[in-house]
Amino acid sequence: MAAYHVVMVHFPIALWMIASLCIFIRALDSGPLGQAMDRALPVFLVLGVLAGALAYLLGTQVWPWQTLSSTPMGRNHMLVASWSLAYFALLAVIRVLHGADMWNGMARWVMVLLSGIGVVLVGITGTLGGHLVGNYTEVGEILRLLGWEIYTTFYVPDMTLYIIAAVSVVLVALGFLGRRARA
Amino acid sequence: MNTIKLLGATALFAGTLVVSWITHGGGVVSDDPARNIAIPETLTVPLQVQAAYNADTMFFRYRWPAERPGIFHDMMLFTDGAWVNKGGAVPGSQPDGLHEDRVAMMLDDGSVPEFSRYGGYITIGQGLATLTDEAPEEVTKYLPMTRNTLGQWDDMAPDSVQANLRSAGYFLDLWHWRGGRSNPVGAADDQNIATGRDGDAGGSSYGTNWDSDLNQPKFMFDEATAGYAALKWDDVMAGTITQDQTYALISGQAVAYDPAHVWQEGDVLPRRFVRTPTESRADIAVVGGQGRWADGFWDVTLSRALDTGHPEDDKILRDHGSYDVAFAIHRNATGARWHYVSLPFSLGLGHEADIVATPFVGRTPTWGDTWTDVTLFYPGQVTWPMLNSDMHAGAGSIAQGIPVAARHSPEQLANYGIEVEFRQQIRRQWMLTLLAGVVLIAAFGVALNATISNQKGA
Repeated sequence: MAAYHVVMVHFPIALWMIASLCIFIRALDSGPLGQAMDRALPVFLVLGVLAGALAYLLGTQVWPWQTLSSTPMGRNHMLVASWSLAYFALLAVIRVLHGADMWNGMARWVMVLLSGIGVVLVGITGTLGGHLVGNYTEVGEILRLLGWEIYTTFYVPDMTLYIIAAVSVVLVALGFLGRRARA
Repeated sequence: MNTIKLLGATALFAGTLVVSWITHGGGVVSDDPARNIAIPETLTVPLQVQAAYNADTMFFRYRWPAERPGIFHDMMLFTDGAWVNKGGAVPGSQPDGLHEDRVAMMLDDGSVPEFSRYGGYITIGQGLATLTDEAPEEVTKYLPMTRNTLGQWDDMAPDSVQANLRSAGYFLDLWHWRGGRSNPVGAADDQNIATGRDGDAGGSSYGTNWDSDLNQPKFMFDEATAGYAALKWDDVMAGTITQDQTYALISGQAVAYDPAHVWQEGDVLPRRFVRTPTESRADIAVVGGQGRWADGFWDVTLSRALDTGHPEDDKILRDHGSYDVAFAIHRNATGARWHYVSLPFSLGLGHEADIVATPFVGRTPTWGDTWTDVTLFYPGQVTWPMLNSDMHAGAGSIAQGIPVAARHSPEQLANYGIEVEFRQQIRRQWMLTLLAGVVLIAAFGVALNATISNQKGA
């Protein structure tokens, strides 16, 4: 299954990279070029998420769960892949639900921020995948300099989990408050 | 208002990501003596090695950093009118700084097929003493084929098979220099690894300085030559006792314990006496009389006959022969598995290899400045059965015979070793982190969706 996964991951990577470029151009340009980018964006995002989900599924079949969840690199690869998929799924949902309205006001810069984080995550996912099959890059060294030794599992302590849970509740509350305000 | 909400939600989201990045890796890895877990502060240590040989003798020189010389093992302290043991083994560093420094080298001639590729990892079977899941009886390093089943420490191969394995050379020669229990008599402990980590035939270089019948020490220092009957605890603790004075109870030099001596509070005697080893166990000598510590480094040179005449205890070395070696050191008052180990290195006697032993003529080699640099690393609790199981993504690579050095660096292995010690806890925390991240992204999506909807409505 590893060979299929390796082939498959290139599709979401390509689609998400071009989608991020579209978002960046559209955020900067509201003219014909930006409009054209916006029209193409949902195609790239939705196809990217579908291809990403398939690649993710194939990835979970490369090793047994016991292996994947026992090795630091396997864990890290799966963690960052999960977050990459979640990020771009979020972008796809927002774009499909709101269309061109998502470019109004500050929202456009939030989209740029999100897609930027997504690009970084996809880059890290690919780097870790490369390490898993013996293709090393210097990206790992950059992450090490930034404070993450990639040969250790990325996890946060319980206190940070509580913070994430609390912030998530606040964000959802903000969402519901926004809906009530709109109603 | 919507802009403020949007900025607030984004700031919360981004801030949480920053907090996650800053705090990652915390909250799990910590010492847990009840589970035999003690993580050293330093994960890698440099070791330098040189090798040379003449017509009949092999020489290895080792140099490595150590903050203090571990020249004592366990001790007996005279306090409140009785002798009390100090320096017993604990997970990690012994709190009183007692436990000898050591350098060890496993040597093979190709008879142990996996050793050249995986080094000492093959000797870490299930159930070894001081692992978290140690066996109910003391189990030391052993080779895989000495057991019928991988992972079953007590499923011994039949005696006839063990005998055949031994005569076929299926054992590792172990050169084991001990800072407290062999160095004072100019010897290293000549051992081997097969069914366990055992001494070669003959007598060891140390014994217990306690007479259980008389309930008192066996030996004390000879005041006439040493100037004292016992060392002082405060001096031992302060590290002011040096190799230039009498610090070990050497059989033949120490005198019988005198209970009538006026023993003082704080007097201290080594709990081991040292003696000249005998027979096959005495094959390895320390060149220069003793390995010496100076300026923060140990410098130890060992020698042994190329052919010891003990082919079932030692690996016989030959001019232009090819061998494999792996090293380990103990420092900072550690014992058992709290050592630093190396990956395997090839050794060539007079020909190209990772470590080239240089031929020379004369009694002792003239060492130059050319060293082989070895990175030693803390190995954690990685066992050979685990490496060959579905808990290791590289189990297939091992089955294909791909060497560990082709896949992993010492630094990487040190980190993996620690991860294995906290496998369950880290896995749980990793899964929660993964899920928390997805939940956070989804929650931010809810907030973002509502904010953009409001803007649309406005």
